[in-house]
Amino acid sequence: MTIEHKVREHLHEKAEKLECPPAISKRIEQSYSHYLQQKRSEKTMKKRLIGGIVAAAFLIPTAAFAAPAVIEMLTRTSLTAEQVKVDEIGNAALEKLYRAFPETKSFEIIDASNVQGVQTSITLQEKGGTGKKITLHTNGMTGAIEHVTQENWESKDKPLTALTNQEIKAKVDHLIEKMYGNSNAYEVAIEQMENPDQKTFMLNYTKKGSTAPFYQVFVQGNSISASLIGGETTPSNAKIEGFFTTNGKPDYFGDAFLNDEKLFSLLNMSGTELKQELAKGKSVVEVAASKNVSKQQVIDVIAKTQVDIQMQGEKNGEVPKSNASNAQMVKAIEPKVLQVIEYKAETR
Amino acid sequence: MQSEYMYQLLTQMKDGNQQAFHELYDATFQDVYRTVSFLVDHQQDREDVMNEIYMQMWTSLANYDTNRPFHFWLHGLVIRQVQRFRVKSWRRFRIFERVRAFSREESHWDQPGVLMDGTNQMISQAIKKLTDKQRMVIILRFYHDYTLEEIATLLDIPLGTVKSRYHAGLQALRKKIWNLPPERMEEINDY
Repeated sequence: MTIEHKVREHLHEKAEKLECPPAISKRIEQSYSHYLQQKRSEKTMKKRLIGGIVAAAFLIPTAAFAAPAVIEMLTRTSLTAEQVKVDEIGNAALEKLYRAFPETKSFEIIDASNVQGVQTSITLQEKGGTGKKITLHTNGMTGAIEHVTQENWESKDKPLTALTNQEIKAKVDHLIEKMYGNSNAYEVAIEQMENPDQKTFMLNYTKKGSTAPFYQVFVQGNSISASLIGGETTPSNAKIEGFFTTNGKPDYFGDAFLNDEKLFSLLNMSGTELKQELAKGKSVVEVAASKNVSKQQVIDVIAKTQVDIQMQGEKNGEVPKSNASNAQMVKAIEPKVLQVIEYKAETR
Repeated sequence: MQSEYMYQLLTQMKDGNQQAFHELYDATFQDVYRTVSFLVDHQQDREDVMNEIYMQMWTSLANYDTNRPFHFWLHGLVIRQVQRFRVKSWRRFRIFERVRAFSREESHWDQPGVLMDGTNQMISQAIKKLTDKQRMVIILRFYHDYTLEEIATLLDIPLGTVKSRYHAGLQALRKKIWNLPPERMEEINDY
């Protein structure tokens, strides 16, 4: 028997006899639970940090450019192309992209990374050609694509910023439609940013009747960078501010009563439409009359909503409890409602 | 050990799944402990190294290369931790190291009471007498059956270095075990 065989046999025999003492297992288990605790506290820290970043991004619009870089500071780990395909969120994002732009199937994944539970980022680039590049940042919790950057999709000699506003909008519309769905429901405001180094446009996609932008898009050089800000679809009970206008300034006194979903459906018009009517100097009662709705119906609807709100408040302990019955409360509120719905804005 | 499954377990464990941790631990600890035992002599040190290895598992998951089998990654971790431990202990004890080398006659490798026949005892002693570098190569070659190329990748050293350590190690073993004259060694080399 040669020495090699002997050594091998000996080692395997010996290994059989070696038993791991339970003390070690216990110690490692402790280390693991220690790690878990640490990790959990880290996670909340991360959330707080991201909260701060989001707040900062809202304060300074230009910070939106910097935000992805700041997230980079968290423990970002890079992934290989294979890992992306195994990763649930990464894979879902890729599939979404492939459906939107079938040509990206032939693209190569050149960079991918993730921050555990926060964000997964993937960058794809076309092999050869103009080197079209697309980057996706996906929310680690919901799997929603929060940020899309499209680079070098236009020919080099004609950068995006050289196009007219109309053309830029068409390009951006195309991107949003592919990635998120119809963009017709949004109002778009194009704004040129004060950036002396590079021509930059900011496009805010705002849902009608909402104040905060839903998508925010930056166009710079040869790249389009779109961010999903609204997150979920804009709530239907978007509040309208300042139903009445006094001396050219919005007057908020009627808002609490008139921002009422049921009232809008009763009048068969949206809040904005109602506001426009009121601006013409009509009272709510008159608007209602034009829609064949009686004054009493309007009062009933508004009063009921207000009483419901009050009841809810009492239940939550926000408002001191009263023993008044529903009917009593409705009666008490009626004169106030009357005052609002018969009010006519001064028109000049 | 299916590599893909193990990778899933690792990811789950990193996210805080206790059960995944236990499953992974049960599947690996014997192998890891035995390897560490062959490479590290003192019981207390083994414990430390083991602990370090498992801590590394959840911190260095990012370096996992899915193209390679799981145990390759695992042994890479083991080797790095053992080496790190050696550097550390060398720094700490460098003054005492020589003293210790002389007084390390008694075997820490074997638990007392384990019966062994003469040859086995001799092989144990011989392997223990090898330098750390030779021992690492010998253990990987004969216990884990890695090829010399794989060992080179694992240890991150050139293939030539592995070969030289391997042959030097074998030569030393032969000398200790059979007291053979060096000129006869080439004849019985069956690899």
